[in-house]
Amino acid sequence: MKNRLKVLRAERNWSQAELAEALDVSRQTVNTIENGKYDPSLPLAFKMAGLFELTIEEIFFPEDEED
Amino acid sequence: MNTSQVEKNKKDLILNVLSTSLTGASLGLLYAYGLEFRMLIGVLGGAAFGAALGFRITRKPPRMRYPIYMLRRVLLAATFMLLASMLYSYLLDQGISQAQRYWISILPLLGWGAVVFTIGLAIASLDELQRRIQTEAIAIGFAISAIFVGGYALFQFAGLPEVNLGLALLVMSAAWLIGKLWTLWRYR
Repeated sequence: MKNRLKVLRAERNWSQAELAEALDVSRQTVNTIENGKYDPSLPLAFKMAGLFELTIEEIFFPEDEED
Repeated sequence: MNTSQVEKNKKDLILNVLSTSLTGASLGLLYAYGLEFRMLIGVLGGAAFGAALGFRITRKPPRMRYPIYMLRRVLLAATFMLLASMLYSYLLDQGISQAQRYWISILPLLGWGAVVFTIGLAIASLDELQRRIQTEAIAIGFAISAIFVGGYALFQFAGLPEVNLGLALLVMSAAWLIGKLWTLWRYR
């Protein structure tokens, strides 16, 4: 699964630590998701979508899909 | 950083150093008793090592996001386990009946139970990725331990000397560490 988390975070001038705090997860978790090494659970994905005021599909998309 | 945060950090530092010193002192005491060197040296050496570790943990917290009070809870359980083991060793050396020896063997188990319970609570407090790292590390540790212990049993049947079952605990710890390092690297 790919995602636009890094871009979305940069657009809002948030650090990984700030995003992690807003999501109540560790900075390591945010970093691993951004790098595509870990796909978050559905509840965490919904939390992210809510925070960025987007849908899950606007943040996460399949590997074979262009962003 | 505001004043209340500074105060909290100071309080955490003191409590962490105290907890690690206590655990270190208990470990030192147990080693001094088991290896028959002066207990004061064991207690002071262990406490000094523990204090240094506590200071380091507070200044540079581990990557896993445990609330610091949970770490202290694990340390207190570990202290209880070490002191119970010490009492177990001491009582076994006294002239007591066989039935009493069996009952006394339960003492360290209570400590082990407390350690496992507090570690379980600490893992449950982590976020989803960190819980996954811990769970995978435990699974890898279990697999390595099973292969090692089972493999040694086969060699033992073939003629290798019998070893103390307590050594399996060391193997499990080392195997868990390997599992942890592997999963940390994987999700780096």
